Amino acid sequence: MIFGYLDPGTGSLILQAVVGGLAGIGVAYKAWRSKLGRGATKPGPDGGNEEPVEDTAQPAES
Amino acid sequence: MSTPDPGSFRDPASHVVLDGDKVIRLLDERGLEGWRALSDSEFFRTAVADGQVIAAVELADAPDPSAAALEHPRLPFISYPYEWTFSMLKDAALLQLDLLEKALAAGLTIKDATPYNIQFVDGRPMFIDIGSFEPYRAGEPWIGYRQFTRQFLFPLLMRAWVGVPFQPWLRGDLEGLTPAQMARLLPFRKRFNTSALLHVRLQARMESRMADRAVRKDLSEAGFTADLILANVRKLRALIQSLNWENVEDGWSTYVECSHVTRDRSAKAGFLTSALQKYAPARVIDLGANDGHFSQVAAETGALAIAVDGHEPVLDALYRQSAGTGVAVVVGDLANLSPAQGWAGVERSSLIDRAHPDLAIAYGVIHHLIYGASIPPREVLRWLAGLDCPVILEFVSPADEMVAKLIGNKLPHELHGGGEEQEFRSLLDEMFVTSDEQRLISGTRVLFALEPR
Repeated sequence: MIFGYLDPGTGSLILQAVVGGLAGIGVAYKAWRSKLGRGATKPGPDGGNEEPVEDTAQPAES
Repeated sequence: MSTPDPGSFRDPASHVVLDGDKVIRLLDERGLEGWRALSDSEFFRTAVADGQVIAAVELADAPDPSAAALEHPRLPFISYPYEWTFSMLKDAALLQLDLLEKALAAGLTIKDATPYNIQFVDGRPMFIDIGSFEPYRAGEPWIGYRQFTRQFLFPLLMRAWVGVPFQPWLRGDLEGLTPAQMARLLPFRKRFNTSALLHVRLQARMESRMADRAVRKDLSEAGFTADLILANVRKLRALIQSLNWENVEDGWSTYVECSHVTRDRSAKAGFLTSALQKYAPARVIDLGANDGHFSQVAAETGALAIAVDGHEPVLDALYRQSAGTGVAVVVGDLANLSPAQGWAGVERSSLIDRAHPDLAIAYGVIHHLIYGASIPPREVLRWLAGLDCPVILEFVSPADEMVAKLIGNKLPHELHGGGEEQEFRSLLDEMFVTSDEQRLISGTRVLFALEPR
């Protein structure tokens, strides 16, 4: 992904979804999980296990 | 022959060059795509008509390698956020949010969020960076959010919540305050405020945890929509609208009530009016403008009057009544006016270079430089002569009641020479030709109309 000439700040990008309200919190959680969850097995939001995701792979459709 | 604007280089898609008196914006293919989308929109036409966005006309020819060239009207005066009052930065922030909301409704976005893209034209904020608009791509977050908080929101919070002026910080760090810095500045009573939790503390925490991870695509795929940007914009607007600053009584708000001010005001206005008639300046700088009375006298002749003062409360009041008056407001300590700075020392130019006055007013000010800031009278006059324009100056003798207050705690040997009237006159004769003078009724003050030699 090519960034603009401005550094938007990764945390700030996810945060603005959180600020957007309940719907945004879900979006932020999914983006955060697909980012931080890569390469590791993490429990999903329903407590179930997710498949490990390769760093280069696209995030799984949900 | 065109020269690049030294403050316009960060965006590869769009930059400004100055061609004589003309302001030309050069666009690459990506910039042209943004311009096409913007110029076709009703949003742009309305925003230009309302004075919210600068006008732009596409030129028939663009110099290689540009894809297109636009011409903007030249603004009479450029000021920087570190020279603005609280209300100016607040109005600029609200304009930025308003335009982003309207742009999104028109299928556009604003890719950055810096107050340097806003200028005050005739007392009202105007967005000047046409190159910041681009088509909104579905699923994209607001790229400028972090910059908005650093350069608009946090400085406003710093003043409104912490009670500390933002101008020295913005002048020292042109990128503004980081979320981590703002988190450390938050007063205890605001630490659990919802806005502080989200925009300051959570942003600081997420910034430290998620540095260097690309996330735009993830957000898009997680279902990010423009509605989330709009929700954020509306909350930010409500927060910023609610901000006010403690107008701390520092002895200057009541300055105009001092007896010497009312006593001398009409004589000083009359003397200034004669000079304005004689020199017919297009641009006047009012050094130590205070409540802007003499700036208004100058502006009434049709001149642009740049009112400079170090005391923000009185200038903020002046700004709030400046729309349509021809008075531009600048917060500045006369002993330390904005220098040239930023990248290569030229990105942001000095206040005096931007003001380039045709006439300077120095009423009720030199005794503050001489006795307050301890600048020798010779240096004060050398600086004024360096403005290279007529100077309307009020000499204040050491015997004056206001000087007595300034030097009450100083011993005679701690004062610079040259302040007594005869010494001062000989310094004046070295550097200026006196074209007019008038002693005020107090006897301790003399007005001079001076032309640099």
